[in-house]
Amino acid sequence: MSSKGNAGNGDVGVSRKVGAVMVVGGGIGAMQASLDLANAGFKVYLVERTPSIGGRMAQLDKTFPTNDCSMCTISPKLVECGKHLNIDLITYSEVQSIEGTAGNFTAKVLCKAKSVDYSKCTGCGLCQEKCPTKVDSEFEAGIGKRKAIYVPYPQAVPNKPVIDREHCMKFTKNKCGVCQKKCPTGAINYEDQDKIIELKVGAIILAPGYDPVDPKLRPEYGFGRYKNVVTSLQYERLLSASGPTQGHIQRPSDQKAPHKIAWIQCVGSRDAQCGNEYCSSVCCMYATKEAIMTAEHEKGVACSIFFNDIRAFGKGFERYYIGAEKDSGVKYIRGIVSTVREMQRTKNLLARYVSDDGEIKEEEFQLVILSVGLRPSKGSKELAELAGIKLDSHGYALTSTFRPNETTRAGVFALGAFLAPMDIPETVMTASSAAAAAAELVSEERGSLVAQKEYPSERDIMGQKPRVGVFVCRCGTNIARVVDVQKVVEYAKTLPHVEFATESLFTCSTDSQKTISKAIEEHNLNRVIVAACTPATHEPLFQDTLKEAGLNKFLFEMANIRNQCSWVHEDPVMATEKSKDLVRMAVARALKLEPIKQLQSPVTAKALVIGGGLSGMTAALSLARQGFESYLVERSPKLGGYLNRLQYTLEGDNTQEWLKKLVGEVEKEKRIKVFTDAEVTEFSGHVGNFHAAVKTANKTEKVDAGAVIVATGAQEYQPTEYLYGKSPNVLTQLELEEKIAKEPEALRNANTVVMIQCVGSRDDEHMYCSRVCCGQAVKNALRLKELNPAAKIFVLHRDIRTYASKELAYKKAREKGVLFLRYNPEHKPEVAQTNGKLSVRAQDVSIGAIIDIKPDIVVLSAGIKPHETNPTLGSLLKVPLDRDGFYLEAHLKLRPLDFSSEGIFLCGLAHSPKYIEESVAQARGAASRAASLLSKDFLTVGGVISVVNPEKCVACLTCVRVCPYGVPAFKDEEGAVYIEPASCQGCGICAGACPNKAIEVQHYKDRQVVAKCKVLCEVSKT
Amino acid sequence: MIVGERKPLSEIQEMLKGYKKVMVLGCRTCVAVCMAGGDKEVELLGSLLRIAATKDGSRLEVVEDAVERQCDREYIEPIREKVAACDAVLSMACGCGVQFMAELYADKPVLPAINTNFIGVTESTGVWTERCGQCGNCVLHLTGGICPIARCSKSLLNGPCGGSQNGKCEISPDVDCGWQLIYNRMKQLGQLEKLAEVIPAKDWTTSRDGGPRKIVREDVKI
Repeated sequence: MSSKGNAGNGDVGVSRKVGAVMVVGGGIGAMQASLDLANAGFKVYLVERTPSIGGRMAQLDKTFPTNDCSMCTISPKLVECGKHLNIDLITYSEVQSIEGTAGNFTAKVLCKAKSVDYSKCTGCGLCQEKCPTKVDSEFEAGIGKRKAIYVPYPQAVPNKPVIDREHCMKFTKNKCGVCQKKCPTGAINYEDQDKIIELKVGAIILAPGYDPVDPKLRPEYGFGRYKNVVTSLQYERLLSASGPTQGHIQRPSDQKAPHKIAWIQCVGSRDAQCGNEYCSSVCCMYATKEAIMTAEHEKGVACSIFFNDIRAFGKGFERYYIGAEKDSGVKYIRGIVSTVREMQRTKNLLARYVSDDGEIKEEEFQLVILSVGLRPSKGSKELAELAGIKLDSHGYALTSTFRPNETTRAGVFALGAFLAPMDIPETVMTASSAAAAAAELVSEERGSLVAQKEYPSERDIMGQKPRVGVFVCRCGTNIARVVDVQKVVEYAKTLPHVEFATESLFTCSTDSQKTISKAIEEHNLNRVIVAACTPATHEPLFQDTLKEAGLNKFLFEMANIRNQCSWVHEDPVMATEKSKDLVRMAVARALKLEPIKQLQSPVTAKALVIGGGLSGMTAALSLARQGFESYLVERSPKLGGYLNRLQYTLEGDNTQEWLKKLVGEVEKEKRIKVFTDAEVTEFSGHVGNFHAAVKTANKTEKVDAGAVIVATGAQEYQPTEYLYGKSPNVLTQLELEEKIAKEPEALRNANTVVMIQCVGSRDDEHMYCSRVCCGQAVKNALRLKELNPAAKIFVLHRDIRTYASKELAYKKAREKGVLFLRYNPEHKPEVAQTNGKLSVRAQDVSIGAIIDIKPDIVVLSAGIKPHETNPTLGSLLKVPLDRDGFYLEAHLKLRPLDFSSEGIFLCGLAHSPKYIEESVAQARGAASRAASLLSKDFLTVGGVISVVNPEKCVACLTCVRVCPYGVPAFKDEEGAVYIEPASCQGCGICAGACPNKAIEVQHYKDRQVVAKCKVLCEVSKT
Repeated sequence: MIVGERKPLSEIQEMLKGYKKVMVLGCRTCVAVCMAGGDKEVELLGSLLRIAATKDGSRLEVVEDAVERQCDREYIEPIREKVAACDAVLSMACGCGVQFMAELYADKPVLPAINTNFIGVTESTGVWTERCGQCGNCVLHLTGGICPIARCSKSLLNGPCGGSQNGKCEISPDVDCGWQLIYNRMKQLGQLEKLAEVIPAKDWTTSRDGGPRKIVREDVKI
């Protein structure tokens, strides 16, 4: 492993830190943190309480605001965690104690008896199928069943079962034992014992996630009494194609499709009575998503959402919300349902609510969904106790604004919904951030504990005749019970160039790998075919076996006779025939396969950070602590960016003090080279190897970097409305904030203040919510109240979007007498000035009246708009912007900090409007993503990528236009397009689009695919 | 670039009736760029013809090939043997390529697979628009770089007709009024006053009205 990036504090006598990290929890946050750390050269122990990783995200049907399938997006990450050489999955286990100090912890972990020997189990699933005991499935949120021996869900990692001893008859009544009898590999072990293991780690990351609030806390909604009242998580399972109803929306009472559905928001959120005063942040959007998906599932279903405020504050949420109403016909009803009653005969539900105009109404629905809030997961309190960290009053990990991942115990970090209720991208960002924090702590031990695999040198097969080996898998009885495996083997032997064919019980088992290796050697095979299951999960395993046997891994092909034969066909004769067809096709393609040489491209272990605000500085500092140098390029003469204008936070931090401290740290840090008054004027290269020119007042310097972080921030909207600039008493929130901090005396006489929300947000020109303005208004209103408790403060708003714990400040402001009046966008407030006196005329929807206010000052909550440099810098770096003009990440959910172009990352306001703690977390997260890359000496490039034949290229530029990653570039000197191997993602879109067939995707060349198709139509000769 | 579009399959099949062995010949210049007749289209059309022949039980052997340019003798000469082995050549080049092939291979039927549409530009992938009317006497310097011959449906030279409404041409709401474009551009250039000058009636003999055109350059001729 590389010695690069080691901080190298060579203190003799100080006990060495441990280059390993324990991650507690197995959800998407824990997975992301583990992957970041393992890819950056640290050993990771992932300790998960349940039998598999995946967490809540695996349970969801789709995700907002893109409607991507949740399972499809998480599944590759599950597989990556499962097969990562440096991640030890310790599932079905709980932490018992944590001793030691930062850099050197010892954790005791209780590994519960799984009753299954994972070294023998192949995950064939027979035990699960034959087990007679059915139990409510946790994964199906209680609306589906599982067995007593079970894998929680089909795509689970590890895909091996555990026995639930509380329900298994062998343990409860000493009966049954079917699983042991049926197991083809003798993996079932009823005598298995709990055991305690000790882990030595340098840092600990806690990611216990969340649980949904118990809907019975609101008995008036009848959950548990009325069958057709379900929770939102149960509804996710009803929508899911892999759920208990196969994705058909059926209501529980009669399995009929409901035509009128209601969502009730804030069940267990914003509710002092049930103990959760905070906002759960995600329910407005998931309800919106569920309603959109419902409308998509079945035309004509009427969906109504009862809500307090719609909190569509995240990136792309406002458009999503507008689309739900306009395009999907979702009805949003402001007002919370007071009671739900069941109608005896129809089992329909009567919801009673007070409408916006103050009338009490009743409406009948066929299904009611409770949008249950989030709370810290069961057991997180105990976890906090044994980890020795403090929690806040609601049970979330106590952290601070500028150190959003750091708990009260040094070396113990937290992420995701253990910090506050948050959605998936926020979780992923805080996960990368926690990974960076952990890596900073143990950076000098990078690479000390990770495993590296050595392979023999590759055999040259040039000029050799193809010699094919075919390995047909029985998969226990999974394949063999339908397909006549022996016949398939005999058939394979008759195919051209097949020198060897055999069958095995489980081709993926360790001894089968040895068999394959041996056969390659003995029969001098130069092509290998496995007829078994899907390459999506198993191809890397077999390719690795080829590498171990000295064969290029691209000389391998799979035939999926499980998913495509035994699982879907019942007739053994036909299924066997089809298996033969698939094997014949695989052989035909294998004959055309070529070894592909992958290259090692060196990595420049430095980063270019563009933007010297809070995010840029945080990212550069984190990289420095992880041992990496960076160039920090700031456009203005002074570091600090937007933070220069913020004085204090809602939580009471003095931002200017923090800023001073941060700038001091940056200036002191030897690993950071700061350029001020500077901009990036030239940019070229590819991942691991970028070249840029940084222009300052008097010179232009060339810099090389392996990674780039875009942290260019955003700008305050300059209002043109509400007399801004025309009256000295009309200010923006930032201007007010500066006044409060610097000349508070001037404000003591402000007796009446009007704040207007959504100025430059949520309108036709800015179709997004600026996210921070509600909190900012609450923050400044509270400060004004401190200065002058008698001040009358009116906040004119459309929805108050104080999510998570900011809701508590909103409540406090109301208690202090701040008046929040709601206006409709059709009737915006009017500000007038006569003889220097301001007057505001505004509508208050809730009382249905127009009110006139004579304020001393009017404060505009001006939104955050994309930075003016985005279009130029974006095109220089070849990274895209979203529809609102902010930078667009690779994937809104799971790659929020990466651009689709490899090696370029983003954070802070450049991504979208956000609070300080969110920018800090993103910046540190981006540093983590960059560090994973910078810690490598070389990147392996090539393989399945597109290659241009310059002779055939007609320079039509089609590929340049269609590539989603901006990789193909026209080279003047060659008169043809060139595709950089290090940057190509191998998607093949260019190859498909090329009008002159000048581009081919390696390993999927036309002739390789056509060969397969050609033999499909030949009839098998047996 | 010359922009073309493949003819409907039924029309091509009709043309090929009676031939047993046909060569589908692509051209790797203009029609490759406009995705009508490059190697990919040759393969696609070849496959389509084979599938269609198999379907209706007729026998048709299809040979696929492509050359750099069908409008240069040096490129089409080397395929002589292959051409000789076929009953007919189905050229995927523009009208020039088809004719030049027919000229060189006078004993072989050369059939057009492409309709040659116009001289134009790629606006974006999959969208091509006409820009030049090949009038032989360019006036773009007078009209802000926007051609009144090609962009005005009536090829008017001195401003729009009464059919120009809200910037669109009366022939279709999808067609911009060429003269509106010219006006906008001249305004942007600050040269509106130039539009007051009358462009005299055009001598169309340099265009198609003068019969087939020919250029002989004595200085480069060999």
